[in-house]
Amino acid sequence: MTDETPTVRDSSGRFVKQAAETVNAMSRTNDEGIHPMAKVLFGWTEAKGIGATLFWVMAGLSLVLVLADLVIHRHEEIHFASSIGFYGLWGFLSFSFVVLMGWPLGRLLRRDEDYYGDAGGPPADIDPDLDGAPLASHGKHEGDH
Amino acid sequence: MPAYLASLNPGWLLIVAGVIALFVKVRVVRQAISIIAPVIGILMLATAQHGVDHMTYETLGIKLSFYRVDSLNFLFGLAFLIAALLNAIYALHTDNKTQDGMALAYAGSAIAATFAGDLMTLFIFWEITAITSVFMVLQAGTRASYFASMRYLGIQILSGVLLLDGIAYVWHYQGDLSLQAFSDLNQPGALIIFIAFGIKAAFPFLHNWLQDAYPKATVTGAVVLSAFTTKLAVYAFARLFPGQHELIWIGAVMTCFPVFFAVIENDLRKVLAYSTNNQVGFMICAIGVGTPLALNGAVAHAFADILFKGLLFMSMGAVLYRTGTTKANELGGLYRSMPWTTLFCLVGAISISAMPLFSAFVTKSMILSSVASTGMVVVWLMLMFASAGVLEHSGIKIPYFAFFGHDSGKRVKEAPFNMLLAMGMAAFLCIAIGLPAFLPGFGYEWLYSLLPYPIEAASYQPFTLGHILAQLQLLALAVFAFVLLQRLGLYPPEKPGVILDTDWLYRKAGYGTARWIDTVWAKLGPAMTATFRTLSERAYDRLVDTFSPRGVLARNGVSGGMAVWTTVILGVVLLVSYLTS
Repeated sequence: MTDETPTVRDSSGRFVKQAAETVNAMSRTNDEGIHPMAKVLFGWTEAKGIGATLFWVMAGLSLVLVLADLVIHRHEEIHFASSIGFYGLWGFLSFSFVVLMGWPLGRLLRRDEDYYGDAGGPPADIDPDLDGAPLASHGKHEGDH
Repeated sequence: MPAYLASLNPGWLLIVAGVIALFVKVRVVRQAISIIAPVIGILMLATAQHGVDHMTYETLGIKLSFYRVDSLNFLFGLAFLIAALLNAIYALHTDNKTQDGMALAYAGSAIAATFAGDLMTLFIFWEITAITSVFMVLQAGTRASYFASMRYLGIQILSGVLLLDGIAYVWHYQGDLSLQAFSDLNQPGALIIFIAFGIKAAFPFLHNWLQDAYPKATVTGAVVLSAFTTKLAVYAFARLFPGQHELIWIGAVMTCFPVFFAVIENDLRKVLAYSTNNQVGFMICAIGVGTPLALNGAVAHAFADILFKGLLFMSMGAVLYRTGTTKANELGGLYRSMPWTTLFCLVGAISISAMPLFSAFVTKSMILSSVASTGMVVVWLMLMFASAGVLEHSGIKIPYFAFFGHDSGKRVKEAPFNMLLAMGMAAFLCIAIGLPAFLPGFGYEWLYSLLPYPIEAASYQPFTLGHILAQLQLLALAVFAFVLLQRLGLYPPEKPGVILDTDWLYRKAGYGTARWIDTVWAKLGPAMTATFRTLSERAYDRLVDTFSPRGVLARNGVSGGMAVWTTVILGVVLLVSYLTS
């Protein structure tokens, strides 16, 4: 034990200063702009092959939940909803339909950002330390004559 | 609590506090006012006696009732007060008198309107919400936000004018402005009031003010806006049009169509605006069903929505504050710099997706059950479809494209502490009201005990194996569809651009027509003036030629042509009066 270690301990017996330093360290973003809590909370998303793992986990989970219908009887007001895997099928189909419709709808409805005139920058109350903070743009706008 | 405070409308307190805050230059004092006022308001509401007209006033033969609490408006008022408190905490890092004061007054007017005991009082505060809320957009300070705020104000005022118009009909035919539910849209004034409410609830085709204004508001302004206006309209429908069957279909359409826009929209705050449409649709549909279970569901879902939608807007506000953008194609990988914001955003996303143990699960399942019990299969399937859609845009798209996905390389600071605190409190509430009642009266039972029909609510069980399994299946396979489509490269990439919606009609076609008319008028006006001048000059010349002292009629003296013409005219007059008598 070095001389610098404080002798004051809190109720759970930990050195107070050390605990405070840990808390401090966990709330400071490092030089690379990475927050220490990011590793703790979401470090797992950086694991190798996480995409494939997630895919198989979800596939397995989905299968288990559909098979659970064989065991658990759902009481349904709408009769066909009690068939096996109905909710799963409907969820899968709805989700896929919505996402796939994004392709034609995007082509049909998407226009340039200044279609209605100058799209405007960020609002005035963003972080003042931010590079390129709000500059009122004075381009062509739908209200201009 | 003194007796006079228990009978004062907490909305009025917030409005007065907001007006004072407008003039307080010292930031700390102003912020203290913004936080203390909603806290006192919550205490006032908690002690208010239900079912009594607390503040009444009679003028011009109209009996006004300014404060009336009952089981229908209690939860709306409480949610508005909680939202006002969270918003004040969220805005602590700013120093903007106008925004602080107007945000408080806006919350206050929404609360005062909620507790109004008659139509005229409702109208007055309905209008004040419009006027105070526009500053949330105006304060963004860009030209685009200025024009958006003017469009917003125009549409909000239109809603108010229609409401007043409808009230005039009701007053004329019934002579009574008390808040009685309309039984039929054919009643005098009912349809006009229905449309007035429909504008604020952002009905299909009347919805674009929301997507237009909210994403152009300030960081804190969008959070403030998300809580009040649409939910006030939901309350107004629940009060005056419960069981109106038209609402079932309108609500069902409202849940479905925004889903498609949300997929292709690039601005994540705009995605949340579409998500607001979608969630309000569930409430409107339930109000249309009108059974006790359905109305319980609508009120509970409104309460939950104010919290999780506020939380999602807060998290996107934090991203906007630190990065200067909420465009999906410019974001990604932010969890590295903003892990707490990411965590809170995920809580909001999971809550809105109605995952068991989170708020929307215990509220939306009441709506789905009530619709199922009407036997309207198509509507029920639409709501289930929209539930998968919510998961797509609010549950996955928002957190995935902002915080995960392709790393944008942006390395920023975590959100300011006050923002994290407000998000943390909202996240806590989202979980707290979604939990099973491990202790009697806690978890969802607390929320259920405050619903308009507490007995029916107490007999409803959200946490049955069947409900949980059905919801988990829906969510799990929808998420599976997401990972599958991602792996196959079938998920549409985020591209910058504006997405055309029905606002094209007035922003492009309408505005274009107005410009065209302007141009035509600019050319036609002088031409018409010139033509008119030529014609009138010619007529004048003719008259002078005929009647002037040197004119044709004067040439032969007065006894000549003039006498003849006078006789002729007199004859005609006599003939006409004879024929018409």
